[in-house]
Amino acid sequence: MNDTLARQLPAFIVDRVDFGIFAVDADMKLLLWNRFMQFHSGRKAEEVIVRNLFECFPDLPRKWLEKKFKGVFLLKNFSFTSWEQRPYLLRFGHDRPVTGGTEFMHQDCTFMPLIGASGEVEAVCVTLFDVTDTSLMHRELERAMAALKESANRDGLTGVFNRRHLEERLAEEFARYKRYGDRFSFLLFDLDRFKSVNDRYGHLAGDAVLREAAARVSACVRKMDVFGRYGGEEFALLLPATDLPSALIVAEKVRRLIGEQPIDWEGRPIAVTASVGVNTVRPDIPSYEALIGEADRALYDAKEQGRNRSVVFKPEPG
Amino acid sequence: MNEDLCLSEDQRDALQEVANIGMGQAGSALARLLDTFVALSVPRIQLVRVTELGKALADMVGSSCPVTAVRQSFQCDIRGEAIVIYGQEGTNQLWDLMGYEPADEPDAAAERELLVDVANVLVGACICNVFEQLGRSLSFSRPTVIGENVPVEYLMQPSALPWKVALLVEVNFSLRDRQFTSHLLTLMPEDSIRQMKRALDHFLASL
Repeated sequence: MNDTLARQLPAFIVDRVDFGIFAVDADMKLLLWNRFMQFHSGRKAEEVIVRNLFECFPDLPRKWLEKKFKGVFLLKNFSFTSWEQRPYLLRFGHDRPVTGGTEFMHQDCTFMPLIGASGEVEAVCVTLFDVTDTSLMHRELERAMAALKESANRDGLTGVFNRRHLEERLAEEFARYKRYGDRFSFLLFDLDRFKSVNDRYGHLAGDAVLREAAARVSACVRKMDVFGRYGGEEFALLLPATDLPSALIVAEKVRRLIGEQPIDWEGRPIAVTASVGVNTVRPDIPSYEALIGEADRALYDAKEQGRNRSVVFKPEPG
Repeated sequence: MNEDLCLSEDQRDALQEVANIGMGQAGSALARLLDTFVALSVPRIQLVRVTELGKALADMVGSSCPVTAVRQSFQCDIRGEAIVIYGQEGTNQLWDLMGYEPADEPDAAAERELLVDVANVLVGACICNVFEQLGRSLSFSRPTVIGENVPVEYLMQPSALPWKVALLVEVNFSLRDRQFTSHLLTLMPEDSIRQMKRALDHFLASL
C-alpha cells in the first residue's frame, strides 16, 4: 500500500463505516459528522459542523447529555448509553421500511475522550450503533418466554390453571400466612357422578361438561383468586384474604353456578351437580399439603351426605 | 501464593502512593462534576485468593443487607474489572446530580440507567487517574448491573471465577449532602499483577 492511500484510509473508514461517529468540543460544537449520521439525521456535515449540537438537535435531552459530556471532559473517562435503558440518543428512523416492527432505531452509544497534547480532554468522540435487530429479537424472546410460562401454568382442556400452578400458589399463600398471618381459604370440588356422564354421552360430552363448568366458575372468581383444575373432574379454588364464612358463600355460589342450569351439549341438556369441600388456614395446620388433605376429607363428607352440597372441614376438638 | 505475584515493599508503597494521589484527583474531579463534596476513603490494597474473596466482600460491605452492584472492565496492557457496590439507599438521591429531569415515578429502566451512569463515573474517575500516573490510558467496556437487591455473596461465585489470586484495590465513597455510600473494588488477576509490577518498577525508576 502506498503512503497516500495509507493516509486516506482512516478518514475513509470514519466516513463510510456502518455506524454513526460524531465529535464535539468543550463548547458542544460539532467537529465531525460521518456519513451514517448524515444519512439518518437528514443533516449534511456542512450544515452542522462547528455549530452547537443542541442548537442543531433541540430534541436532545440537554441537561442529562451535557452532564454526560461534562463527565467525559472532567474525568477523562468513557461513557455509555444502552438501548435497554434509553432506546435512542437521536431519534432516527430504522432501516426496516419493509419488515417494520419498530418506529425508531434502537441505539447503543459510546463516548470517548480525545486527550490532546495538553493532557486535557479536548473533544469527545461518540460512536452510535444501530442495535434495532438485537432489541427486536430480545423483545420477541421476552414475549415467547412469557407465553411459555403462561402455557406451562394452564390446563390444556379447560384453559384454567393446572395443578402444578395451583400448588405453587397455595404454597406461597401458606408461607405468607405463616410469616405475616394473612388468612386465606381453599375450596376443593368435583362434579357428581361424572363417570356416568362419560358412560352415557361419551368422552367428548364429558370434556364439554368440564369446559363449561370451568368457564362458569371462572366468570365469577375475583382477580386475586386462583382457580384451576386439580385433576380429572376435580377443581380447586384458592381464596386469598377470605375467612371461613365468606369461603362458604363462595362455595355455595360455585355449586349453584355449576348445578342450576343444565349444560348444553350439541343441543342436549346434561344436568350436573357439584360437591364442595371447604377449608381455611389455622395455626395448627403443618403444611399446605395437609390443608389440601383436609379439604379433600370435607369433599368426601359432602359426597357421603348425598352430594350437591358444600361441607366445611371441622378439625377434631382439642 | 506464588512468589512472583507478591509486591515488593517498594512496589506496594509506590502503588499506595499512586492510588492515594489518583483517588484524590478523582475526588476533586467528581466534586466538580457533581457540585458536591465527595469523601473518599484511603485506598486499601491487598492480594486476595479467590477463596477469600467472599469474606473480603462481606467485610467491606459490613452488613447482611441485600446490595445492588454494577461491573465494568478496563484494559490497557493491564486488564481488570471494577465493581461498584451501592449502599442501601442505592442511587436514589443522585437523580438531579446526574442531570436527570425529575420524574414522579422513574421506571425500572431509568433507575438502572442511573445505577450504571453513577458507577461509570466513579470507576472512570478513580481508575483513569490512577493509571494516568503510570503513563497508561485505558479503554472501558459498557458497565452492566450484576445484581439488584441480592445478598453480597451472590455477586461472585468463587468456583466460577477464572483466577486464583487477584490484586484488590478498594475505596469507599460518600457524599456530604446526600444519603449515598458505595464501595469501589478494582480486581486485577494474575497476568495483570505481573504487568502492574513491571509498571510500578518503571514508575519507581523514573522518580
